[in-house]
Amino acid sequence: MKKVNIWAWIILLIGIVYFFLPLVATLEFSMRMIKGRYTFEAYRVAFTDPKFFLNFGYSVLWALLTIFFSTVLVVPTAYWVHWKLPKARPFVEFVTLMPFVVPAVVLTFGLIRLYGRPPILLLGSPILLIAGYIVLSLPYMFRAVDTGLRAIDVRTLTEAALSLGAGWVTILTQVIFPNLRVAILSGVFLTFAIVMGEFTFASLLAWPAFGPYMEEIGSMRAYTPQALSVVSFLLTWASIGLLQWIGRGRGQEQVAGAH
Amino acid sequence: MAFLQIENVSKIFGSVEAVKDFNLDIEKGELVSFLGPSGCGKTTTLRMVAGFETPSSGRIIMNGEDITQMPPNKREVGMVFQSYALFPNMTVAGNIGFGLKVMKKTPQEIRQRVEEMLALINMPEYGDRYPYQLSGGQQQRVALARALALRPDVLLLDEPLSALDAKIRVSLRAEIRAIQRKLGITAIYVTHDQEEALSLSDRVVVMNAGRMEQVGSPFEIYNFPKTAFVANFVGTLNTATVEVEDPAGGLLRMDNLILKSAENLQEKKKGDKVLMSIRPERLSFASELKKDNVLDCTIENITFLGSVVRIQVRLGNSLFYMDTFNNPFLELPKLGDKSQVTCSKEAVLVLNH
Repeated sequence: MKKVNIWAWIILLIGIVYFFLPLVATLEFSMRMIKGRYTFEAYRVAFTDPKFFLNFGYSVLWALLTIFFSTVLVVPTAYWVHWKLPKARPFVEFVTLMPFVVPAVVLTFGLIRLYGRPPILLLGSPILLIAGYIVLSLPYMFRAVDTGLRAIDVRTLTEAALSLGAGWVTILTQVIFPNLRVAILSGVFLTFAIVMGEFTFASLLAWPAFGPYMEEIGSMRAYTPQALSVVSFLLTWASIGLLQWIGRGRGQEQVAGAH
Repeated sequence: MAFLQIENVSKIFGSVEAVKDFNLDIEKGELVSFLGPSGCGKTTTLRMVAGFETPSSGRIIMNGEDITQMPPNKREVGMVFQSYALFPNMTVAGNIGFGLKVMKKTPQEIRQRVEEMLALINMPEYGDRYPYQLSGGQQQRVALARALALRPDVLLLDEPLSALDAKIRVSLRAEIRAIQRKLGITAIYVTHDQEEALSLSDRVVVMNAGRMEQVGSPFEIYNFPKTAFVANFVGTLNTATVEVEDPAGGLLRMDNLILKSAENLQEKKKGDKVLMSIRPERLSFASELKKDNVLDCTIENITFLGSVVRIQVRLGNSLFYMDTFNNPFLELPKLGDKSQVTCSKEAVLVLNH
């Protein structure tokens, strides 16, 4: 028994070291901007750059737009698949896995080729960027919502609401959405974290965003980018923490997991 | 004209005919149950009345109006599900008031009706609870109140008690019946439990493989089953294939025993094979009172069931059950004893295949 315990701890320790060592090193490096002392000078420099706020602000805007349209697209689709077309589920799931199969660079070039010339010209508007981000968010959004839908009896709840005279809008907004709250939020936070750190789309489509900004800073300065990566990690953790905190509430609900 | 008419309704799923030519008239205030094994089409028929399935052919007429193609949310129908299906994000009051809110009733009206419904199900203090804070039986009562809050024309219950434990099942089915009688609401009750169907229905529809086997009062269904399926599905039954000995005299031959039956055998010939059945409670020991048939038997097995003692006897080459009421002074025979059992000629039924 004891032996097993020791091994478990050793493995856990290796995991922790593997995960945290680069982070600690980054943090440590980012605080050495002024020789011989640990300071937050790099962070001060990062946060006083007006371009930081501009790019960060744009990324937040892209993230919010992506979240909105992705939710509007995924929730009714996943709901409909559960309720009427359970056989189509594997197919829909496969489609949502596209961003794992098709690299972002390929996807972006495909979008540029298709929409960069007549008859459909979309290059000048952020529609392409948001559409691309929605595709990127699909695996997380769909799986989160799908897990949430599995946890409730979609079919019977829908039929119960129907027999009480409710129409589709009422059923979606008053029965399905509230019961998927935690699942949707889990998809939302993951999407937020992904869009905030995304580089390829924003860079190739030439829209201001946090990812390209970090890259730009990284090629010019030594300490600030490290500070920014620490900040971006904290941001992701804050999202996950927020998600756990919201999901804790009612005993019956469970946090729909990201896979 | 009946309140709810189901006319020649069939439902085909792919290549499977789930419901075949279903015909039934249900009167206002009547409680009819659909009884049968799983996959017999009882739930599909109910779902067609609810509007969740559309019949492949036939018509459903409610209150003089053809509702065959009407969407479920336009029908005046309340439904109770096996899995309760309460909305987990709403309180008990929210659940009961949901349909009223959809109908855009005033908050005052909703509050009043919800209170009325909570009183009806004897749960006046539970309005602010959430479904997960209630037991299964309480959840199902709330689901019943929710279905009744809109005062529907017809109440549909789809195996409402199947997920509950035995004690609650018995008390809740009495409660459902009392509420249904009190409101005088027309109801269809789907179940696979024959005891449930017999105890609370005005009429029972026994179904098998998509077909109606027999429609009748619980009394008729139990005492005069028309087909072998009904006889076997409802209650315990002894059956044996026997030969007609004397069509005019109603005599049947089972191995070396002759039985007298009250059934009309005029259309049969001597030597025809028929399926004969006797309910276990119609048999008794001949030592007390001799009836039309007195048959030699051997005691094969004795099972004590509490209020009833079930004795297995060998009649000819067949094994039959015989039920006798328990009492503390009962003198039970020993296994292997020779004895005689008796039954009236009315107890000997001949079934259609």
